[in-house]
Amino acid sequence: MLTRASFCAMRSSLPMPNDALRDSLAEKRWLNALIEGDPTALGGIYDLYSERIFRYAYRMLGNRSDAEDATAETFLRVMRRSSELRADGAFRTWLFRITRNLCIDKLRQAKLMDLPPDMQYSGSEDRSALRVTVQQALSELPTEYREPIILCDLEEMPAREAAEVLRISLAALKSRLYRGRRALRDKLGSAVERTS
Amino acid sequence: MTNETYKKLVDLYAGHELPTELEEQMELAAYSEPDLNQDMTTLRRTVDMLQSDPGIEFTNESYQRILMRLYAQGANVETSAPTPTHFQYHLPMQG
Repeated sequence: MLTRASFCAMRSSLPMPNDALRDSLAEKRWLNALIEGDPTALGGIYDLYSERIFRYAYRMLGNRSDAEDATAETFLRVMRRSSELRADGAFRTWLFRITRNLCIDKLRQAKLMDLPPDMQYSGSEDRSALRVTVQQALSELPTEYREPIILCDLEEMPAREAAEVLRISLAALKSRLYRGRRALRDKLGSAVERTS
Repeated sequence: MTNETYKKLVDLYAGHELPTELEEQMELAAYSEPDLNQDMTTLRRTVDMLQSDPGIEFTNESYQRILMRLYAQGANVETSAPTPTHFQYHLPMQG
């Protein structure tokens, strides 16, 4: 059975060509361990993906507390469905899809209650102001444009994988992404012209 | 070239998806066409702004709060991060 200590030692000592390959190997090992019933495996998967899932949820929801809830619920679903998982490379897509569905549910609830988003970014004041402007403009875009931008531009997910998360064709993903970028540019107006 | 073709090329240009040679041709064409230049520049800046956004910080507090939610639901999560000091001591129950 894979232990966390041996995996962490291996992770830091083995030369890996890049982070993506290293994470892909780590994902496969932790998933196999989880499927085999290793009780420590969920922690490994949490270490690998919690930050990305949290940031994605935050970008969808604009609110730290809700993003934390959605992240926790995502990992609970991983735990509850561990017997159905397969280490076949589609895990990350599945994980993002779960988070997306949870976020959409939360957005529907928030819409009913009309809660304002909480947007606190770190960094210099000008940069923070610009990010809040971008976040605000992004939140005003229709969901069909906002989601491809969040996945492809902000989360740097390959277009094909983003299309799988959203369950649309690659052509539809690209069309929405390009239209979304133009819509965002138009909303940002002079803020874009001031940057260089 | 039609407007629609230009629009597609500008979309690809903005996302840094064009080969260098074609990108240079687009920039050359933009010299004599202010509208095209404006479209190319502002759209690329929008994409660059998005792609350089580091996003919200995933703080240690958030990391621990999510873990607490998982523990509360009975999940056994052993992470590589050190356990915060307030988890290490069990205070006696009052009353």
